[in-house]
Amino acid sequence: MQVSRIHRSNQTFIQLRPHKLILILLLQLSTLWLTACAPQMIAQQPEVGVLPVADNPQLPDVIKSLISQSDKQYINNDFTGALATLERAVRINPRYAEVWSRMAQVYLTLGKVEQARQHAKRSNSVVKDNNKLRDFNNNIIRPDSNLNQKEQTH
Amino acid sequence: MTKQKSKARKKTSKKKKLKKSKARFGFLLNKHFLLGLSVFVLLFSSYLVYLNIQITDKMSGRIWSLPSHVYARPLELYQGKNLTTAQLISELKQIEYIRVQNRPTKPGQYRVLNEAHFEIISRTFTYWDGEQKSQGIRLSIYNNKISILHHLYSDETLPIFRLEPVKIAGIYPSTKEERQLIKLDEVPDDLVLALLAVEDRRFYDHWGIDPRSIIRAMLANVMAGGTVQGGSTLTQQLVKNLFLSPERTLTRKINEALMALLLEISYDKSVILETYINEVYLGQNGAQQIHGFELASQYYFANSLRKIRRDQMALLVGLVKGPSWYDPRRHAERARSRRDQVLILMHERGALSLAQLKKYKSLDLGLAKKPRFSANRYPALVDLVKRQLKQDYNEDDLKSSGLKIFTSIDPLIQTQAEASVKRVITRLEKNNSRAENLQTSLIVASSQQGEIQAMVSDRKPEFPGFNRSLDAVRQIGSLIKPAIYLTALQKPDRYTLASLLDDSPLHIKTSKDKLWSPQNYDKKFSGDILLFDALNKSRNIPTVRLGLDIGLPDISDTLHNLGVNREIPTYPSMTLGAFSLSPYDVANMYQTFAANGFNVPLKVIREVLNKDGLPLKRYPLESEKTIDEKSVYLVNHVLHQVTQTGTARSLTKTFPQSLAGKTGTTDDLRDSWFAGFSDNQLAVVWIGRDDNASTGLTGSSGALRLWSDLFSHLNVDSLEMIQPAGINNVWIDGESGGLSNKNCLGAVELPFIQGSEPTEKAECKSAGFIDQIKRLFN
Repeated sequence: MQVSRIHRSNQTFIQLRPHKLILILLLQLSTLWLTACAPQMIAQQPEVGVLPVADNPQLPDVIKSLISQSDKQYINNDFTGALATLERAVRINPRYAEVWSRMAQVYLTLGKVEQARQHAKRSNSVVKDNNKLRDFNNNIIRPDSNLNQKEQTH
Repeated sequence: MTKQKSKARKKTSKKKKLKKSKARFGFLLNKHFLLGLSVFVLLFSSYLVYLNIQITDKMSGRIWSLPSHVYARPLELYQGKNLTTAQLISELKQIEYIRVQNRPTKPGQYRVLNEAHFEIISRTFTYWDGEQKSQGIRLSIYNNKISILHHLYSDETLPIFRLEPVKIAGIYPSTKEERQLIKLDEVPDDLVLALLAVEDRRFYDHWGIDPRSIIRAMLANVMAGGTVQGGSTLTQQLVKNLFLSPERTLTRKINEALMALLLEISYDKSVILETYINEVYLGQNGAQQIHGFELASQYYFANSLRKIRRDQMALLVGLVKGPSWYDPRRHAERARSRRDQVLILMHERGALSLAQLKKYKSLDLGLAKKPRFSANRYPALVDLVKRQLKQDYNEDDLKSSGLKIFTSIDPLIQTQAEASVKRVITRLEKNNSRAENLQTSLIVASSQQGEIQAMVSDRKPEFPGFNRSLDAVRQIGSLIKPAIYLTALQKPDRYTLASLLDDSPLHIKTSKDKLWSPQNYDKKFSGDILLFDALNKSRNIPTVRLGLDIGLPDISDTLHNLGVNREIPTYPSMTLGAFSLSPYDVANMYQTFAANGFNVPLKVIREVLNKDGLPLKRYPLESEKTIDEKSVYLVNHVLHQVTQTGTARSLTKTFPQSLAGKTGTTDDLRDSWFAGFSDNQLAVVWIGRDDNASTGLTGSSGALRLWSDLFSHLNVDSLEMIQPAGINNVWIDGESGGLSNKNCLGAVELPFIQGSEPTEKAECKSAGFIDQIKRLFN
């Protein structure tokens, strides 16, 4: 990029040629467009690594604590540890869809698609009024999603 | 010249000396002698090598094969958990925590204030997911629930705390023997002192054999006028025990001496002592040999070696010399005087004061009334664990043992189950003239996670015999019906809960000239009956018609989807359960109902760690949706009715909670079954006779009673039946199955799969005022 520096007293300006300016504008516009589109793309395919929100106020402290523990394990790539912690939660009370949903997510990350599906189904069987969670589960259950390919390689 | 001469003289005298010595010891330099000697040395050293190999072979089998330990589930503590003070104390006792009066200061201590407030310091414990360091906690129980859970020394709330699990059993996998192996540092000092005093005073000073003690023993025996002391060392005795040779020939004795020496060369004194303590033969229980002090302590005193009295230890040490001769159960006086001899030796060694000696001599032997048959407290459950292990580990894997096996066994539930069995079986035999020689099986599992919590396979739960829960394959009778109705309801275009079935005489040709005419339990016919009623009241004839209409292969498929892994016969009487399953199979089947169509194959092992505490294998929670939730909801609706108005309605007298289940009775009342579940707990009960004779009990009068007794001692959560989408509740006429409304007489509200609701309206007779009031309260 050709830059000509114009010195004016103590300031330095960088003057750009017109065609370069257009390129930069286009670059910025495309970035904006990508940022706008990204959430839609995530919704189409559950992004491995994104855990469903557990903001249900009815979650008892013991379950919240175990969820938080398993989230930490998950972030540290301790997937079997995360599953073991979530199983502890399910043994204490199997009626919380957030826990089953998380298990589905961990299985998905491990590439165990069938187990992910089954746990997502279990989550749906106990979910009450949480449509966001239901959608998240359905994303995993649906056989016509991009997950079909993963399944074949599994 | 003199110097040379003296030198020459010295040389010749030397030569002469040499010649002289050669003459005397010349034979040593003889070729043949040397050859013979080297051959002998070679042979002897090879023989020693051979002996050494034998020793190390045996010893490595004993030392390196550590027993595997089976653990129960760890008790999870959290605010809101249903737990009573008695249950927590029971658990703490079982993990051998010590109750103290003042504030606990060491791991493994706890105290209780006002029967409700606990202060506990846990021990460090390695779980599957890592080590949990020792921690102090404080908790309070109020209204049979944990109300507070804090760190011990602060007000900081603890959301959850896992208490270390009860150690249930030790498995010696390669030989499948029951052994209670104990480490040397776990052996009470007094026992070691007594043992050495009696059997081998100079154990730490000799090198395998001890000539001095042989002589001393001889003298002592002569003085005493009988054998008081043995002359062989513990090492020699260990060799004897390892090779179990009955002959007392000279060759044997020489071999033993040599091997004792080799043993001492290869192994530390502490290893030899520890192996001895675990190997020494101390008695016989029928076909089972009692080896080792820990098992002997369990066998004679029903208590761990660490917990018995010193006089009891003295008796055990006394048994070493002759377990049959001094058998305390058969020769009490001999045993007593032998014990006293040992006590005297202990006193001489300074372990007991004179006063203590007098006291112990005055005590009775202290034998347990019931010997512990095996070291394992829950033989049926341990059998299940072993079978599950066998599936995944071959013999070689199990040989490198020392495994830590974590299971879902719940000691609190198991204790209740065992108590219920003993109580109810006795009661049933007492109150029913035809009921005698009853046997039973009881399985309790968490229905949503498919984990076995308790299992009883004998009316005497501690008896390690036939495992009825796993192996008693018996006709299931009416327990099949939910599977048949489920299959039908999966075709909503053909069958709904309001479909009319025919309960009139039925004759089926089973072969060329054989006719089968099934009967209802009451030998009556009710004509037209609604489908849900037929299941609720367990009517046989409409069930047979329904089953034959759907097709037996379809029913068989349903059973497989429900989790029954057996071949299902496809002849007409299978519709009345005229085929056999084990109670475990039945539990698997009903688990799928209880989990709303999610089949979770029952299991008992959760995780396995290797001897170094590293994770080896995990058995994750794996479920599969095998039945659609709508049809299973319809069946569960009826199974709930069974416990309200059907064959299990007596449960309403005891339980305000919502439950579901099915009774089962077979021909001639040979088998009494009940499979029932609450929100997250399922239990299957079977009562029958091993000789297959009639029990005089139906499912309701027998198995249901036992189920009810057990659940009345457990925390029962009401069954929460979440109605799935696509189900509508509709009022229909109880007689015709046509559309009705809640104000009509005889109307009943039933769930229907959307689109399958009846369309024809039934005649509506207004329900009387009293009926309407009744309905308000139902």
